[in-house]
Amino acid sequence: MKLLKTEDNQGHFLGESGAFTTVDRITKEDLLRLVELTLTEEVEFDEYDSEVVKNQAHQILYRSIYEKLRGLRERKQEFTDESERLYLQEYEKYREESSQQHAGQVSSEATQSAPPDEPSV
Amino acid sequence: MKRIDFHIHTIATAFDATFKFALSTLERYVSETKLNAIAITNHNTFDRAQFSEIVAALNAVVFPGIEVTLNCGHVLIVADVVHLDLFEEQAQQISKRITQPGDSITIDELREVFGNLADHLVIPHYDKKPAIRGKALERLADFVSCGEVDSAKKFIRAVKSDANVTPVLFSDVRICEALDQLPTRHTFVDCGDVTFAALKACMNDKSKVALSENEGNSLFQIFEDGQKLSTGLNVLLGERSTGKTFTLDKINESYEQVKYIRQFSLVQQDDAAYEREFSRDLQRTRSQFVANYLAGFKAVLDDVMAVDLRADERAVENYVGSLRESAEEADRRDAFSNTALFDAAEYPISDDQVLSDLIASVRQVIENVEYREVIERHVDIRSLKQLAVELIEHLWAKRMDSKKKSLVNGLVRDIKESLKRRTSAVQVQDVDLYRVMIHKRKVERFSEIVKRLQEEATISEEAIQGFRVVATKAPFAGAGEIKDASGVRTAFRDAFGEYRNPYAYLQELLANDALTRSELYKLFVKITYRILNRDGFEVSGGERSEFRLLQEIKDAQNYDILLIDEPESSFDNLFLRSDVNQIIREISTTMPVVVVTHNSTVGASIGADYLLYAKKTVEDGKVTYRLYSGHPTDLLLTSLDGRTISNHEITLNSLEAGAETYDHRRQGYEAIEDRR
Repeated sequence: MKLLKTEDNQGHFLGESGAFTTVDRITKEDLLRLVELTLTEEVEFDEYDSEVVKNQAHQILYRSIYEKLRGLRERKQEFTDESERLYLQEYEKYREESSQQHAGQVSSEATQSAPPDEPSV
Repeated sequence: MKRIDFHIHTIATAFDATFKFALSTLERYVSETKLNAIAITNHNTFDRAQFSEIVAALNAVVFPGIEVTLNCGHVLIVADVVHLDLFEEQAQQISKRITQPGDSITIDELREVFGNLADHLVIPHYDKKPAIRGKALERLADFVSCGEVDSAKKFIRAVKSDANVTPVLFSDVRICEALDQLPTRHTFVDCGDVTFAALKACMNDKSKVALSENEGNSLFQIFEDGQKLSTGLNVLLGERSTGKTFTLDKINESYEQVKYIRQFSLVQQDDAAYEREFSRDLQRTRSQFVANYLAGFKAVLDDVMAVDLRADERAVENYVGSLRESAEEADRRDAFSNTALFDAAEYPISDDQVLSDLIASVRQVIENVEYREVIERHVDIRSLKQLAVELIEHLWAKRMDSKKKSLVNGLVRDIKESLKRRTSAVQVQDVDLYRVMIHKRKVERFSEIVKRLQEEATISEEAIQGFRVVATKAPFAGAGEIKDASGVRTAFRDAFGEYRNPYAYLQELLANDALTRSELYKLFVKITYRILNRDGFEVSGGERSEFRLLQEIKDAQNYDILLIDEPESSFDNLFLRSDVNQIIREISTTMPVVVVTHNSTVGASIGADYLLYAKKTVEDGKVTYRLYSGHPTDLLLTSLDGRTISNHEITLNSLEAGAETYDHRRQGYEAIEDRR
């Protein structure tokens, strides 16, 4: 999915509706949406080129946002790994407990023992 | 049997609290307690002049010694008098090496100073703080004759254990003028002559040491007057006001690690107050469980507390705002604002936690010994090692990269600052979007964890002597419950309004200055305990007292002696006979227990090892309290001053209100017995 494109001397970003909007209209909500997409989806951006984006204001906006998103795209895997491991042990411990309770099979031994270690290699 | 005390302090060193040595007290101690041999063992020092003075004054064999502070615990070194010159020299070397609190030497240094330790008696603190255990003890094993313990209970435990260490019980006393009570902690050694060689040989043999002169390890001395107790179960009888509770109080005062269950302490008196106290008691004994159960959550919470989503939002807003402003003023840019660094973003510095964890995991697989065989069946350790090396190289490179980037970031910040001072153009305010997103993820994961945590569930069930303690978790039902859990007088109404939104709830809690941050983890889920009886129902008032007694007795295992004053004051006979007696009996196999009772169910059925009878007499207008003691099968019980009393008579008097009443009662029971 393309998030940023350059056209008609201007920079554009993918709006919430799915249509491209000129980069000077971007809000912080738009930016966070683009960041979320960059970190979770396969995304592309038109490279910044001052010859293509002639509008000076657009140059400043497009270049900054392009560089930010490109930087994030490079760290996508790192982000996925880090997010997945966030509080993993605790998450699994308390999740396991609740699901066991739902299955009506709580035994004191199982709930008191530490959660099984996630193989991390 | 020879009575010895090889742990006596006569000098207030830098390692002791101050006291003033009195030779007269030492003379009194040795003569009144009939000690055959002692050793002078001051902390890291030996004073020959004082030693000679002591030898000249006493009617007992005195050995030179020293208590050395090792980095792994304390050890007593006692020498033969024939080696006095050499020992003095060695002790001087110790004094030079250990001069102030905090100093210590290693086992190697000890051996360096004393050379062949085999010439001396080496007595490490064994079941006594600071103890030498494990590997350190193994390293000394060739020279160790015996190990010091600090109670009769630990002495018996060591005798019964498989470990090859002979226990010795010594006083560790500071001899001063104001010594109120003479120590009763001694060891009896089965040797003929009191020579160094004979003592040393005996102290290598568990069967040659004992707690009492004639009764082996079944009795030990409790009071300075020579009164003994069984190392098992003692029953103390006597009429009202004859000094029974006084005797228990005295034991309580003279011993350090005493578990004392006082009369009526377990009985239910005022329902509401009792209910509160009972719950508090239960929460206290279970608080460690709660802390353990919530430890993981606490770590998560501590981390999430540092996340400020509002600040992140402001940072993004500032970035977009300043970027747009800067774009709008694009035509006004000058030489300064046109420089590449003017709006340059800082390098993001990534955390290497994931990589570090990965390396630790690989190392764990490589270094694990227990499952080595299984691991090698599936992976090649050599390639795992290569993997570890490569990952570590990655980590180094990553850290080096981060260092360089930090350096550049600092430089960029400085340059941007100076450029900004020279121009009116708007500078873009940078933001680390990666961190912003990670923070968002943290809050999401945290919310999921809290929601799971708040779901109703049983988290543990523990069986305790027929009762079941069930711990359950559930969401708090109102602000009042949160207040109770916090133990802080503050309002929780606003916070509770956000309770179902964990992050917002946390922000409300953080905004309340009355709360301690490290305790906030207790305010997310309610953990309650219920005690169920044998039939699975909530316990009644009486059953609660029973449960508390069982808990108290269980807790007694952490002490050196257990005292119970009239258990019958809290319980009915059936419970006493079926449970209390059995539990007391059981615990008395591992530690000395003293039970005061008037109740025949306890007194006559419990199976005491030793009987004591307290009696008050008025002689020549003076009140005297006397303790008679003996084995339950003895016809006569004897007092320390040689008086005797009939066992049959006092037992019937104490437990059955006299022989006549007992006969009456028996006849009454016979009359109503159904003989069809």
